[in-house]
This record gives sequence, C-alpha cells and structure tokens, in this order.
Amino acid sequence: MEPNKIPEEEVGPSVAKPLLKTLDPVKNHKPRVKKPRYLTHALIIAIGLIMLYPLLWMVMSSFKENTEIFQSGSFFPKNFTLENYIQGWTGVSGVTFGRFFLNSGIIVTLCIIGNVFACSMAAYAFARLDFAFKKVLFMIMLITLMLPFHVTVIPQYIMFNYLDWINTFIPLTLPKFLATEGFFIFLMVQFMRSIPRELEEAAQIDGCGKIRMYWQLIMPLSVPALITTMIFTFIWTWNDFFSQLLYLSNIKLYTVAVGLRMFVDSMGESSWGALFAMSALSLIPLFVVFIFFQRYIIEGITAGGVKG
Amino acid sequence: MKKNKVIHTLLSAIMLTSLFLAGCSGSDNNSSEGNGESSGGGDEVTIRFSWWGDTKRNEIYNSIIDRFEEANPTIKVDREFGGWNDYWDRLSTQIAGGNAPDVVSMHQFYVSDYARRNALLNMQEFADAGTIDLSNFAEATVESGTVDGNLFMVAKGVTMPGIVYNAGFLEEIGVEPPDMNWTWDEFNEKMLEVNQAMPEENFGVPDLSGGQLQPNFRYFVRQRGNDVFTEDGMLGFEREDLVAWWTMWEDLRQKGAVPDGATTTEYDSAPLEQNMFTTGLTAFTQVPANQLHLYQEQFDNGDLEIVRMPGLEDGETGEYIEGAYLSITERSEHPEEAAKFIDFFVNTEEALELFKVEQGSPGSSEMAEFVLPLLEPAQQRAVDFIQETVEYARPAPYAPLGINELEQSFADNASGIAFGQLTVEEAADNFMAAAESILQ
Amino acid sequence: MIALKNAWRRNAVAYMFLTPWIVGLIGLSAIPMVASLYFSFTNYDMFTDPQWVGLANYAQMFQDQKWLNSVEVTFKYVFISVPLQLTFALCVALALSKGLKGLRFYRAIYYVPSLFGGSVAVALLWRQLFGGDGLVNRGLAVFGIEGTNWISQPDTALYTLIILAVWQFGAPMIIFLAGLKQIPIELYEAAKIDGAGKFKQFFKITLPLLTPIVLFNLVMQVISAFQAFTPAFIISGGSGGPLDSTLFYTLYLYQKAFTQFQMGYASAMAWLLLAAIAILTALIFLSSKKWVHYQE
Repeated sequence: MEPNKIPEEEVGPSVAKPLLKTLDPVKNHKPRVKKPRYLTHALIIAIGLIMLYPLLWMVMSSFKENTEIFQSGSFFPKNFTLENYIQGWTGVSGVTFGRFFLNSGIIVTLCIIGNVFACSMAAYAFARLDFAFKKVLFMIMLITLMLPFHVTVIPQYIMFNYLDWINTFIPLTLPKFLATEGFFIFLMVQFMRSIPRELEEAAQIDGCGKIRMYWQLIMPLSVPALITTMIFTFIWTWNDFFSQLLYLSNIKLYTVAVGLRMFVDSMGESSWGALFAMSALSLIPLFVVFIFFQRYIIEGITAGGVKG
Repeated sequence: MKKNKVIHTLLSAIMLTSLFLAGCSGSDNNSSEGNGESSGGGDEVTIRFSWWGDTKRNEIYNSIIDRFEEANPTIKVDREFGGWNDYWDRLSTQIAGGNAPDVVSMHQFYVSDYARRNALLNMQEFADAGTIDLSNFAEATVESGTVDGNLFMVAKGVTMPGIVYNAGFLEEIGVEPPDMNWTWDEFNEKMLEVNQAMPEENFGVPDLSGGQLQPNFRYFVRQRGNDVFTEDGMLGFEREDLVAWWTMWEDLRQKGAVPDGATTTEYDSAPLEQNMFTTGLTAFTQVPANQLHLYQEQFDNGDLEIVRMPGLEDGETGEYIEGAYLSITERSEHPEEAAKFIDFFVNTEEALELFKVEQGSPGSSEMAEFVLPLLEPAQQRAVDFIQETVEYARPAPYAPLGINELEQSFADNASGIAFGQLTVEEAADNFMAAAESILQ
Repeated sequence: MIALKNAWRRNAVAYMFLTPWIVGLIGLSAIPMVASLYFSFTNYDMFTDPQWVGLANYAQMFQDQKWLNSVEVTFKYVFISVPLQLTFALCVALALSKGLKGLRFYRAIYYVPSLFGGSVAVALLWRQLFGGDGLVNRGLAVFGIEGTNWISQPDTALYTLIILAVWQFGAPMIIFLAGLKQIPIELYEAAKIDGAGKFKQFFKITLPLLTPIVLFNLVMQVISAFQAFTPAFIISGGSGGPLDSTLFYTLYLYQKAFTQFQMGYASAMAWLLLAAIAILTALIFLSSKKWVHYQE
C-alpha cells in the first residue's frame, strides 16, 4: 500500500472541473501545473517555520555561551560551544542525564503498554458489547476526567504513601495498567465504533469468540487509534513533571522532566544554557518516536483490513 | 493479511517487554525502598533532607552532606531538592501525606504557614542541650527563627535587602551614587534625577510598591513606628501608612521614574538574567544582598554597589533579619540525628568551607569570619553590607494565618493602581476591607 | 431461561473486558475523588485535620470577586480557543493528508509545538514573541503599526494564551489524521463514479464519517480547556496577571490550594467545575445524536 493512496486516487481525470481546480490546484499531478505545487510547499514551509521557530531558537541558544543567551540579539551563536551539553549531561552528584533518560524510558514504556492494553479492553466493551449499566459506567468514565488533579493529588499521595509506593515507579505506571486514562478509552471507543459491523458479523459466523474478536479483528483494525495512543502516552508521560516530581524524590529515580527543572531556580541562579541543551536532547526521543510511528497512523492498514 | 502478522508480532513483542520491564522496575523499587528505611540490623539511621536551588547549589549541598556522612558514619542522609516553586509544592504535599523529610529548608514567606499548622518541631530542647550550638549566633539571628517564642528555624544564612546600582553606569551618565544611609525623600529625588539622565524609555527603579508585603513595604511601615502585623496576629499598620506608600510610588510612576503596570508585568516572571535591572532598563533595584554576586556576574561594565533601604528622617530603623533556614519537621522519627545534621551544617568549617555565603552570610559569627577570606569581591561586599545592617535589625513578628491571601490582596490592589484602574484611595479601601475579613 | 443465561454470559464477557478499568476506578480514582468531595465541605489546610463547614465553601465562592473573574476568563478561553484550535487542526490535517511530497516531514514539523508541552522554554519564547520589543511588534513595525506589550496588557494577555493553545494544535490534528485514514477508500471511489466533486466528497463523505472523531476532539478539548493550567502558569509565573486577566479557574484553584492552603475551598471549586463541565459535555452528547454518524 502506497503511503498517500487516498489523495492520488482522488486525483483522477474526473476532477477536471474548473471549480475544483481553483479550489485545490495542488491535487493535479500533471507536470504542466507544477507551479502551484511550489506555492503550496512554500506556504506549508512558511507556516512550518513559525511552528519551528521556538525549536530552532532553543537549539541555537543551547550552543551559545551562558552569558550570550540573553545578551545578544543574534539568532546564531557567536562562539559555538558544546559546553552546555557537557555541563548539562553531567547532571547532579554523579547522576547523569543518561540515568534520567533511562528512567523516563522505563516509565514511558510501561505506561504505553498499560494504556494500549487496558484502555483498548475497556474501549472494546464500551464500543462493541452490550451490558448492564453501560451508559452509567461510560458517564463515570468521562467524569473521572473532569476533576482538576490539584485537588486529588493529596489524597492520592496519602494513598500511595500508605502503600509505601513513594519513590518507586508504581504510582506513575500502575494506574495506566488499570485504564485510568479515560482519554484513551474514549478515543478508542470512537474509533472502534467506526469499524463496520458487517466485519464482526462475518467473524461471528466463523465462530469467533469475543476474546478472539477483540484480539484478531478489532485490535488490528484499531491500529491508527492504538498508535495515536502510543504517541500521546509517550509525549505526555515524557513531559509530565508534576506527578513525577511528587512521587520521585530520590535523584536516582529522577526523570528527564524533573531533571530539566533542576537547572532553573526562580529564587536565584539558573543554568539556561544547560537547560536548553538538555531540553533539546529530550525532544529527540519524542521526535524520533513521532516520525517513526506517525506513518502507521496515516498509512494505517484500514484499506487492507477492510478488504481482507 | 501480511500486515496483521506484523501487528501481531509487534503486540507480542510488547507483551514480552512488559513482563521483562515489570521485573526490572520491581527490583528497582526494592532497592530504593531499602534506601529509604533504616536497615533492620545495624544502628544506621537514615534521615531525609530537602532544599531548593539549582544544580550548582545542589553540588554544594551534596558535598556538605557527603562530609557529614563521613563524620557520622551511622547517619545516612537522603537528598531531595528542586527549584523554588517545585520545592514548596512537593513539601506541602509530603507533609499533608505524612511523608515529610526530617530536615527541611525554610523561609520567612512560608514559616508561619508551616509553624502555625504544627508541621515543624520546636528545636529549643536541642539548642538547650547543645546538640545545636547557637552560642555564636547573634540574639537577633536566633530570634528571627522563632515563631511565638518557639524555635522553629535555625539560620543557615542571613541576608538583608538593599538598593543596588551599577557604580560604573552611574558615573557614565554623571549621576552621584546615593549615600549608604538615605531617606525616602532622597530616594525620590535620586530616581527622578537618574531618570532624567537616562534615555526616554528607561526608568529609575522597578515598581516596588506591590508584590509581597515584605520586605519593601514592611521597611516603610516599620520606619513609621508600626509593622505589618502585631504580635497577636492583627494588622499592624494604618490606612494612612498604605496611602502614603502607594502615593509615593504613584507619584514616581506619573513622573516616569517607575514603569507603568504593563511594563512591570512584562518583567514580573522574568528570570534574573532578564529582569529590568540586568537588562539595563532601570538604574536601581532592590536585591537581597546574598544575590549581589549573581547580579554582578551579569555586569562587566562596573561594580555593583549596595546601600541600605531608604529610611525616614528621625524614623525608626526598618531592618529585620531575613534569610534561609533549616527546620525539623514535627513528625520526624529521628529528630536527634536531624538536629546533629543542622548543627554540622551551620557550625562546622567542613560545611561552611563549601557553603560560604550560598544563601546568605552564615548565622554563626565565628563561621561568618571563617568564610570571609574565601569569597569573591562581590560576595565580600555583600557580607560587609549584611554585617553592617544587621546591627540595625529589630525583631519582627511572624505573619498570622491567612497571610498569603492578604498578600494577594496587597499585590492586586497595587497593580490596580499601576494600571490606572484604581486610585490610591480606592486601593487602600479595598485592602483594608480585605484585611478585616481575612484577619478576624 | 436461555435468554437469561445469555444475558448473564454477555455481561460476564463485557465485565471481563472492563475488569482492569473497574479495578482502577474503585482502587485508584474513586478514593481521591470521594476524598476531595468530602474536603469540599470542610475547612482543610492540608496539615491539620479537616473541619466540617457544610456548604460554606460553595456559598463563599459566589461572593468571591476573584472567583467570578476566573470563571469569566475561563469561559472566554474555552469558547474562543476550542473552536479555533479544532478548526485549525482539521484544516491542517486535511492539507497534510494529501499527496504532497515530503508529507511526513511536514507533519513532523507541525507537531513540534505540541512536543514542547509546558516547558519553561515556552514562557521565555512567548515573551520574545509578544513582549514590548518582541518579534510580533517588530513585524508590525514593518507595516508602520505600533504594537503594545501583548503579554502584559490586561486586554490582550488572554489572547496570547489563546494563540498559544492554537499553536499547540498537534494532538487534535493527529487524531483527525487518524480518523481521516479510517474512512474506507471505496466510498470515495464510489462517489467519484457518481461524479461527486471534491467539495461534495468532503461534505458527503469525509465530514460525516469524521463526526465521531469531531465529537471526541470537541469533548476532550472542552474538558481540557476548562482545566487549562500550564499555559497561564508558566507565562504569568503563576500569578494570573496582569490584573487577573489570565487567572484561569484551575490557576486560581491551585493558588487557593497550594499557596493559601485552603484545600477545602479549592476542592469545592473543583467540584463546581466538574459539574459545569459535566453539564456542557452532556449537552454536547445530547446534540451529537443529531450530527454524529456511526457506521453501525
């Protein structure tokens, strides 16, 4: 399956209506109308630069000397230095940023696994099965999303402290295995509801039980939603610092998000250079994961799946 | 269905990794739990110590703790730290959750909240027994760590606020630097003078009329013979004090020597490196003396000098002791060891050799002398300043409960004036009404 | 008898799938929620035991000028930023799902702002962009327009935060993209044979089939916009200034809880917010029967 199948098919000769041409000249594949394509590219790139400016600014700053970051108006570093990266990576008291990356990696991996399985199970039930109290439970699920976490954090902390789980990864990861992220349940419910019923009925005739149906039919068909879940879980967990700050106070357990906060102290000194350097590094895994997985969202397997 | 196979392999692989990682993290948890608890057999005790600061301070504190552990092999210190905001968010959660560190860093802004809610231990007993030796601490310094007569904090560093300027810059624009002792009238004149000498869009000094009740406003009311609070937790000043204070600033603002509300807001949350003074937007600013050297690092065109907060002719002195402190939490299981640690931190050359004046001049006069030769010039100037002004310090009662809400009202009304939305009279009325309902 | 048995079986299977969620609900989510509901009827300063005050916290709110102001700010933010963000996300998603070369690259670029989350860097950056001599004003100066201090004027500060929200449109965009991908190609092929144009295709196929995803994005963005905290926190340094013009509901709630130690009041605020969000969400769901199409 080619990546951008839909649009290419849409761009048949039948799309030759004048109205459409003015509306969306990009669509035309024929070489003689190449010019508008460049225009589109130019537009996308121009807007893209606005999107990227912060990133570029941060990366540029990370190569500047600490005193230069705020003093010079220049975008590019005057004296290119790697000092910030070296200083930042060193971390604190013998614990390097490598350790923080590892910790974040472990937490993120566990969270992804938890969310993908636990949420998809719940979502399957909500989307495809009939059971008592379905509507009520679905409502409760949404309601759990509506309470600001600042008021639940204290009782939660008391609870985890009672269980002696402070300074472990459990408070950060276990909840995902118990599908506490209603966002993803709801997301998958919406996707699963869009899967044509006929497929399921066909499978049912084959004598497929609900468990096999979930595993062999619904899950593969929900890959775009699952990948979306993975990406979001990755990004949000990677960036979420408040709960990591509260539950991990031992520096050996610090994560990237918490580690980054060490460089800034609003009551005194801050190592901006090191902050930018490590922030830039911390974006790399996010970026890589995003680039790698996004094609699964976009390319999906929908067409193949539906036809199969 | 080639893709399905791929997906299945992927999913199965994830399952396997999950099992593997679950095992990993499990063992991780065990080891960290082992650290947290005192090991059953031996006499070793683990205490936890928590502070705020950036990576550089953390290096210093870690080294101090390492030295303490060396000197006290039976006591292990677990370290926790974070930036200022993170620190307080975490500490309040930990205390509410019954999991507070044994030794915590404390500050004037928050001590009454913690002390008055029984979160801190009265250390008098340890001071009496000499576990924490306060014999070299000035009486006023010890006093500054007490709330209602209970010793809740021991100063690791004391500091005094002052008005800072860049001597090189003033010379450049031909403005005489102010006297060490100056009055608010002289302050006003100086701000107008320097404002004239500077470009149009610059100012004499940032707007100090609002923000927190202390130190600026507090100095002012103390000089007028009042204080922001009375000993019994009531408002310690009159409406006219407030009107006089805000009128003075509004006047400066009207004359362009102090920035308008929008400009002030723009720089409100700016880091030190980007605030009005360091970017050259103002010629003067108020700085706690212990931060003088941090500011100096931002200037290569002259030495920063610090003078006393302006006073009143024939008025009383406004000075009172501020600083960073150490406290023991109420529910600490090892207060004795915690006290030992505090004593080591504030009274030994091993510790102070590293601490120097990290969070202010050492509380112990002996230690203050010991660190003096170890300092950079800007730090020395700061210590000189602190030692000179500490002499003027008078006791200052700690805030009653509800202080934070009151400070909010103070800040809100001050910025209402700055934005031209409230007159001084209206703002003062608002504040007095709020104070009445909050401090019942 | 058989019907009953079947019903029982059907429920058993469903609840088996729901087991992790139910365990989490009861074991992890419910306890803190119920606790906070209890706190909302008490005077609770976090360090000492809560004291029952009945409905006092709820009553107090309606006399609290700052609270009323935060409600206004939050509603403004929700009702402006959510439609803007969703429209923008949908447009970009549509543009990026087409057959341009280098699409993967573009999609990645457009997602970059959302990777930042609530990083400190964003605050610095926003000042650089919207400050007095920020990039925006320099840009306006080219056209001879004199800008103001966008971040620090009470009239404009909130809008810079709305722009920030729109700028971080990556999450709904990705979800739209995933939704677009789930629309079977056959439908388009069939439509083409019928001679439907692009415009018609969009309104007859794309949009209707995307409605479940639109519903999802709408509900989730409304829920999260009501609870927006990080942008205001990092950009105003937690103050909600200037003049409380960016004092979001949850920011005020945070101040009450963690700066002023009034956790009881904060909890009451939280539950009132929950009620408001729940009502709005319910309305969206009710209306969704009219405009959301499932393939069932």
